[in-house]
Amino acid sequence: MPILTLAAKDLRLLLRDARSAVILFVTPLVLILVLGLALGEGFGEKPDERLRISVVNLDRGLTTKQAFPEKPWSDVVIDDLSATQDIRLEVIPTREEAERLVARGSRAAVLVFEPDFSERMNRTSFLTHDTPPPINPLGRDGVRMGDLGLQLIADKTQPVSAAVIEQVTQVTLLRVVIPWMIGRAFERVGDDAFMAMVAERLMAVKPVPPQVLQELDPVVQKLLAALMKDAEFAALMLKEVGFQDSLVIGKRGPEFQRVVQKAFQNPKMMARVGKEIAFGEVLTPAVRREVGPKVQDGVADLFSNYNFKAKTWADLVKSQSREANTASRTEYRDTSGSGFLNRGAVRYQVLVPSYTVMFAFFLVLSVGWLFVAERKHGTLARLRAAPLTRGQILIGKLLPCLVVSLAQGFFLLAAGYVIFGMTWGTRPDLLVPVVICTSAAAVGLAVFVASIARTETQVAVYGTLLVLVLGGVSGSLMPRDLMPEQMKSASLVTPHAWSLDAYAQLLANPNPDVGLIATACGVLIAFGAVFTLLAWWRMDLE
Amino acid sequence: MPEPVLEVVDVRKRFGPNVALAGVSLAVEPGELFGLLGPNGAGKTTLISILSGLTNADGGGVRLFGERFDRSRRDLRRLVGIGTQDLSIYPDLTARENLAFFGKLYGLSGNTLESRVDETLAAVGLTERANDRAGTFSGGMKRRLNLAAAVVHGPKLLFLDEPTTGVDPQSRNHIFRHVKALNAAGMTVVYTSHYMEEVQALCKRIAILDGGTLRACDTLPNLLNTLDRRVRFRFAAPVAGFENHLTELPGAIKVTATESGFDVTTDSIPELLPRVMALAAERGATIAAIEPREPTLERVFLHLTGRELRD
Repeated sequence: MPILTLAAKDLRLLLRDARSAVILFVTPLVLILVLGLALGEGFGEKPDERLRISVVNLDRGLTTKQAFPEKPWSDVVIDDLSATQDIRLEVIPTREEAERLVARGSRAAVLVFEPDFSERMNRTSFLTHDTPPPINPLGRDGVRMGDLGLQLIADKTQPVSAAVIEQVTQVTLLRVVIPWMIGRAFERVGDDAFMAMVAERLMAVKPVPPQVLQELDPVVQKLLAALMKDAEFAALMLKEVGFQDSLVIGKRGPEFQRVVQKAFQNPKMMARVGKEIAFGEVLTPAVRREVGPKVQDGVADLFSNYNFKAKTWADLVKSQSREANTASRTEYRDTSGSGFLNRGAVRYQVLVPSYTVMFAFFLVLSVGWLFVAERKHGTLARLRAAPLTRGQILIGKLLPCLVVSLAQGFFLLAAGYVIFGMTWGTRPDLLVPVVICTSAAAVGLAVFVASIARTETQVAVYGTLLVLVLGGVSGSLMPRDLMPEQMKSASLVTPHAWSLDAYAQLLANPNPDVGLIATACGVLIAFGAVFTLLAWWRMDLE
Repeated sequence: MPEPVLEVVDVRKRFGPNVALAGVSLAVEPGELFGLLGPNGAGKTTLISILSGLTNADGGGVRLFGERFDRSRRDLRRLVGIGTQDLSIYPDLTARENLAFFGKLYGLSGNTLESRVDETLAAVGLTERANDRAGTFSGGMKRRLNLAAAVVHGPKLLFLDEPTTGVDPQSRNHIFRHVKALNAAGMTVVYTSHYMEEVQALCKRIAILDGGTLRACDTLPNLLNTLDRRVRFRFAAPVAGFENHLTELPGAIKVTATESGFDVTTDSIPELLPRVMALAAERGATIAAIEPREPTLERVFLHLTGRELRD
């Protein structure tokens, strides 16, 4: 009962102490707010040096199935981007979200694949006319993204970052579009339409140049010689011209060949007889069918370092294709949180526990001042004269400090949730023991300092120095992840470090290590007990 | 003889090389208002600290209500109240909260606590300021609240250590009245002060402490009786043979010549004065001045210690 009386009195005094309220409740909030704004939204996230390309994929894909690509063209582009070295790809679900992120400067630029991206990509071609109408996406600066149904939403306040993202996208688009267009073009080289078009153009070459006919002479000679020796030809001649004439022609075949040869070798005669013949007549459909593929083969042989039939860049340049790196692809996660600030909650996952821990130990000042005030006001003498034991006096003072510390811990975590939008992790229930154990360690240290300090100045000097040094060593002033491993290990001599590790498990790890949290809580309780024992030994109530 | 409420036997206390108490022995009877007089540094506060359980003596013994007493006797501490020399109240609590807190520490609760707080506030004249924070009080009001905090639980023995230090006359009178009322109600009070007028006005028995040693402990008349009563007569001009006539007067114990007259030691100054006046008229001597010197505590202290109380 006397303990509760003492505790109630000290709690009342603490509640009336505006100085303590400011230090324990207001200052950490202000610091978290100011540092949160100063350090930026990325603070607290794991450092990633890779360039982030954010995309919104609204592509409907292809309406008909085709050999290549087997998936929507947007996926082909995204695969290429995510396979690019030092790039991580982030998929944002909606255009509205992308516009919001760009508008508030969270993203320098976001690529949006419009619903008809695949359909447009499929139509890209070097052809001028085709069905459906071809799209020529190539321009002076590379690929005209708009022609493909690809929109780049860029933050005008971050032109450099946006330009880098655009250039990276350009390279990827060239890698995707160029092989596709070349491959499709090369398929057309030597096909019927192509050869017919060639023949049509050659038909305009009339009369056929005499040299062409002259150069046909060896072929004509071979044909005549073969005919003269051919039995079926002889039979045909016999049937058509009669026995006598066929004998004559048959005997004089070589002579006829020589005459024809002489005629072919006569340019004037050839010019004359070829007057009505167009060059295109030589390129008959059968010839075209034979020649076309050979033309394609010839081109392929001529540029044998490349595979013009390929549809991908790797096939085009005859190199090993890159595997799409799914590890570098992430789904966009809204980290702005639910707090009314709604400005990037990730940083507060680090800042709130850091300052909750550090300011828990600022209790040193309040408790120290409480003890000093008891001496200063002479009331300690009256307490000692009262029928109280030393233990009752000390416990009576510890209790309200513990209550204030717990209130502070839960208040800051609640403020972190409500104001800054941080999450309480997947195991919010475990925050309770961590807050309690941290408070126990803080109260122990506070009473120990109170047992040493005799004046308000001593409390201020010892307390502030101790809190700031311990805060710095433990990593309360910076993310512990940024500390060198050796320093991180060394910092475990402070209760702060154990508390921060426990909070990190709960607030940053989706699957918190309960064993580690239990260990941290145990160590914090041990710290509190040791500090309290030291205070008990050192405390002079006279 | 009733058993003493407080019995101190050869109590000693040192602070390093300094001897604060060099074997003090005294006893306080039930219902007494006992004065402990001494200059600053005499050892009064040290003795009160030992008697109220704030600290232990190095040697000797203290008995409270017939039982051996030291800091471990919480049951006996419950029967004692202490009005410390320095204020010992919470400035950020109201007067009522202060008294309620100290009352609870001594086991009071509920209606008893409430009525005790109200009574005590009324007794020290702070009812109207009961709900004001003590930090806003004047020095005298704080002193009264300090006294109230010492008695709110109704102790049987009250130690008051310099309770009027730095207070205005109004508060001093208030405190005197309250102390007298408490004593009249049966509370034994040990009142320490270096103001002899206070002790002389309040206390029936007085102990004189100096340099950690008890110089005297007796009732006020007995202490005063340790000193003679003298009257100094100054004459306008010397009168031959007047000293012999004075010596023969009834009631004149001793006559000592001074520069301009005589000092006459007597049992009763009122009886001596008319006889000296008549003798002077008879012998034609003109008395320029008469200075009666009654014994006072100041003179007793000077007599006992060889120095003034306020040295």
